[in-house]
Amino acid sequence: MIAILLIMAIWAGLFYAVLMDEVYDNIDDGLKNQKIEIIREAYNNSAIIDQNKVFGINQFRILPSQDHKDLDKNVFSREFIYMPYDEEEEPYRILKTGFYSQDGLPYLLEIRTSTVEEDDFLINLAISLSILYLVIIISIIIINQVVLTRIWKPFKEILRNLSAYRFAESSPYTYKNTQVMEFDELNLRIEEMLHKNQLVFLSQKKFIENASHELQTPLAITIGKLDLLLQDPTLQESQINKLAEAKQGLHRMVKLNKSLLMLSRIENDQYKEIEKVNFNQLLQQLVVDFEDILQFKNIQLSLKEDDTFVVDFNHDLALILISNLLRNAIRYNKDPGEIDIHISKNEIIIANQSSSEALNPDYIFERFYKGNQDPQANGLGLSIVQSILLKYPNLSLDYSYVAGKHYFRIKNT
Amino acid sequence: MKILIVEDEIEIARNIQEYLESENFKVESANNYHSAYDKLLQYQYDCVILDLMLPGGSGLELIKTIRKENKIQPILILSAKDSVEDKVKGLELGAEDYLSKPFHLAELLARVKAIIRRKSSAADFILRYKSLSLDLENRSVYVDQHNLILNRKEFDILYYLMLRPNRLLEKTTLIESVWGDHADQVDNLDFIYSQIKNIRKKLKEVNADVDLQSVYGVGYKLI
Repeated sequence: MIAILLIMAIWAGLFYAVLMDEVYDNIDDGLKNQKIEIIREAYNNSAIIDQNKVFGINQFRILPSQDHKDLDKNVFSREFIYMPYDEEEEPYRILKTGFYSQDGLPYLLEIRTSTVEEDDFLINLAISLSILYLVIIISIIIINQVVLTRIWKPFKEILRNLSAYRFAESSPYTYKNTQVMEFDELNLRIEEMLHKNQLVFLSQKKFIENASHELQTPLAITIGKLDLLLQDPTLQESQINKLAEAKQGLHRMVKLNKSLLMLSRIENDQYKEIEKVNFNQLLQQLVVDFEDILQFKNIQLSLKEDDTFVVDFNHDLALILISNLLRNAIRYNKDPGEIDIHISKNEIIIANQSSSEALNPDYIFERFYKGNQDPQANGLGLSIVQSILLKYPNLSLDYSYVAGKHYFRIKNT
Repeated sequence: MKILIVEDEIEIARNIQEYLESENFKVESANNYHSAYDKLLQYQYDCVILDLMLPGGSGLELIKTIRKENKIQPILILSAKDSVEDKVKGLELGAEDYLSKPFHLAELLARVKAIIRRKSSAADFILRYKSLSLDLENRSVYVDQHNLILNRKEFDILYYLMLRPNRLLEKTTLIESVWGDHADQVDNLDFIYSQIKNIRKKLKEVNADVDLQSVYGVGYKLI
């Protein structure tokens, strides 16, 4: 649009210049014509030369002149001369030239003509052009706004629908019929594409769940067989050990499977029931459950409750969340070590000493990332914690490492 | 004691059958909805081990249908799905207990025995082995006339060992049964050792003729 405006401005300018040029050319031609007639008359009637020493009705004057080379050269100029009619100075076009009389004497000839009308004309023309230019600009802008807005409205609506679409929700992509064939087609294609993507998304979600589900049966069978084998009283020590180790390996698979399944279920929103969960009670119970392990690993645990932390949460997920954090605090601790739990109204802090250095917060929530390789850990603990917290946007988790202690902080905003 | 296993995975059914038969149970099995239905209508079992995913109909449907026929039998639900809703629904429909796959056979045995004990008319809440008797209802343990004071975990450990005297009970199984899910993923399972030590000490103090024996570091058995 700016290109059009620029082109039009240039055109208007050129138009004005050309017209102005034409107008003045005409005036000048008129003056030149007058010069010829005056000189012809001067040849016929030399009295004219004497009678026109001043600008009178004839609007020309003849003065004696010195002879010089360019005597009859035409020189045009513009002067302002007082006009009695308008009682002010008005523009005149003046032709200054010279000629030789019949006697061969040199004379200066000045012819003038009023250009009031022409100048007025040009001024009006300029004004008209400017107005026309403005009108065109405004019209273009208005048409642009109105028409194009109307035309692009269905398109904007499509854009809105698209940005509101979520794969996770099963509501289909809906749209109204537009008046425009191209947009209707666009809508149709978008709907197909989203539908396909939705199916892919769902099947991927299902894949983990199906895969772990399928894995559980052969695991159950094998573990069962090993169980039966272990019952044999005639087994020797080395055989029993190997069988027990084999079973343990399988159990790691089972736990991994269960964790993956849980992750998938959490992400699929299968833990939907919400109730008011008192985290203090959960933590108190867990501390009791973990008593033996804490004692065995020589870990001092202190539970400080400044207030009760109660949020709307799914009870099972809350338990998983807290026990995963606590388990990590136990697992990665020193001997002897400390765990400090601090509960306030909107915050739970779990801090533990550790033999390792600061963890990298960018990595620790990645699935299967294990800082210090602990073969019993499957690396999914914090991923599960994070998945759970993603479902509750008013809760956040952050990690920091201060003075040899890892701090995990759950905040209710 | 008669047990019915309703499970479509042959190998799993076989595992359970072999294990239970070694514990002197009589075991029958059905591998689909209809044959299970027929058996349940015709016979009475002391416990039914029912897998929820069956060809021909769901296990929950089976429970409902059997109830309608007024052939209520004690049911232990097995499921690979581990979903909370199934568990709740099953228990609401009247199942006695729920166990998710994969499970320890020893755990299955413990639950079956618990169900049978609950359902039996005789108040058979006392386990006995040699001079040791364990009263489940009062949670007390006696060696002859001597009362053994055990804490909760020690009591549970002894209980599981008493379910299968003279048989190996692995550490992992024992820990999972007594401590539940929280105890897993501790890198060293030896924290159970202090409990065992305590129990042995207390048994020694009353000159009991039973003891807990460690089996090659893999587990323990009651002897």
